[in-house]
Parts: sequence; C-alpha cells; structure tokens
Amino acid sequence: MIGNKYLVFYFRIILGGVFIWAGLLKIFDPLGFAETIANFRVFPQWISFFLALMLPWIEVISGVFLILGLFRHASALILSLLLAAFLVLIVVTIMRGIDIDCGCFGSFSQKVDYKLILTDCVLLFLSLNIFFSKSDHFVLFRKKGILP
Amino acid sequence: MAQKKLVQQIVFILILSSIIGLGANFHLIKKYFQGEFRQSFFSSEKFPSITFITLAEAEELFFSKDTIFIDSRPEGDYLVGHILGALNIPFEQHKEVKILTRLDLSPEEILVVYCDGSECQSSVELAKFLDAQGFKSIKVFFGGWTEWVQAGLPVSIENDWK
Repeated sequence: MIGNKYLVFYFRIILGGVFIWAGLLKIFDPLGFAETIANFRVFPQWISFFLALMLPWIEVISGVFLILGLFRHASALILSLLLAAFLVLIVVTIMRGIDIDCGCFGSFSQKVDYKLILTDCVLLFLSLNIFFSKSDHFVLFRKKGILP
Repeated sequence: MAQKKLVQQIVFILILSSIIGLGANFHLIKKYFQGEFRQSFFSSEKFPSITFITLAEAEELFFSKDTIFIDSRPEGDYLVGHILGALNIPFEQHKEVKILTRLDLSPEEILVVYCDGSECQSSVELAKFLDAQGFKSIKVFFGGWTEWVQAGLPVSIENDWK
C-alpha cells in the first residue's frame, strides 16, 4: 500500500472525481441508467428501477466526501465494495457472452470487455489504498481516522 | 469501536443518498406505482411514436397485412426461425443503420418490432432507434418470438428480406 500523504490525496481526488462524474451523468438520465442495469439481465425490473434512482447518488456523495476528507474511510469502503460488485458483474456478463455497454459513464460508456476489467481494478486499487491509508492530511475535519 | 463508527458512517452515507435519490425522482416513483416502467424504462412522453402491444394485438396486425414485422435478434437466431414475413434488423454493432438505409422504408409504415421475449431489450432499443429515424408508428411486441411460437402462429425459416 502507498502511504505517501500527497499520493493518497491525489488518489482521493482522482477516485472522487471519477465517481462524481460517473454519478452525475447517470443522475441526469435515471431511466437510461435503469435500462442499462436491466440489460445486464441480473436483476428484476423493480430492482433495476430503484437501483438506478439511488446508486448514482451514492457514487456522487461518496465521491464528494472522499475529496473533502469527510468520512473518508467509509466512503472509500463503499466505493471499494461498489467496484468489487461491478467487477463481478463485468466478469459474469463477459462469461455469459452478453454484448452491451457498461453504462458506467452514461452516454460515454464503453463496452463490457477486458479493458473495463482493467479500469475497474485500477480504481479498486486506489479505493482500497485510501481505505487502508492512515494519512489524515488535506481533510476537512482533521480528526483521528477510524482505523487504528 | 472503530468498526462500529465505520458502519455508522456507511449507513449514514447510504441513507442520505437514498433519501436524496428517491426524493429527487419522486415523479418517476409516482409513475412507477401507477404502473409505468414495468416492461421497459422509457417515458411515453419522450417516445410518443412507440407503444407496447400484446400477442393478440400483434396477431391482429399480422393478419391485417399492412404492417411490417421487424426481428431485432442477431441474424443467426433469425435464420433459425422468425415470424412469417418479418425483416431482420439486428440491433448490434450499429448494423441497424446500414440495413435500414438498404430497406428504404417509409416513415408512415406501421412497424412491429420484436426479439426473443420479455428477457431481451433489443426490440426496445431498435424501437428507439426507429423513432429517432422519424418513424411515426412503432409497436413493440414484448412477448416476441417465444410467445408467437407458443401460440402456434405462422413462422418461417426462409430469409424473408434478402
């Protein structure tokens, strides 16, 4: 794990920024995102609908908190769990041979393929690094972190 | 203690996001409970030319003869079997653009698009594409190939459009 305070801060900006951007694109088109979730053919229609309404906000709020340094461990853990879930979904979708857009970045989305796995893994590395980092520099409330 | 705090913060973020997400989309939730979005996620206001039809309606249109049926499944599936007389516009890798140009259909035609059945979304995607191309009357037969075959209605294994 990388513990350098500047690098951890950059990681927070990058990861937070990516999720704010991804979330905002989806917030502006909730029905489009619901359809994207449905296209994965994993969830029933009603779950796709409610996920599409809530997930983008989880991404944006966690991203904002991560950049501000507010609840940063909790935010990083949420984003790590989301990225891990996306990873499973991507692998399952490739294995099932379903040819669809991931819907990760609204209309800027890429196809579900091996490159997407790589992107996901890089982001997962950043989020886990932030989660396990004890660096409390550049945070809004400089209190002792949650982790011992 | 640390773990408890972490869980509390996670729950806080999730609840906050859910409240904002559900609050900001209250109009959509209202529509959902009125019965919309049960088959596909698009608002009828956004795509006024698209309607959903049942097997009985599809059958009626089929025998009325002035309707064009379009199969949105991949060519391989289409060749195994399709609704008699249906054209094939596979909604994949932007093939639909080329094929539609070649078919040269009039925007006034009544089109019925279908794919496998309620599991597949390509008929809806194709319907949206056709709407964007200016077609005025697009009907999505959501029961698709599965319902049509189960009902024992006319099918073909010939390539009906080449």
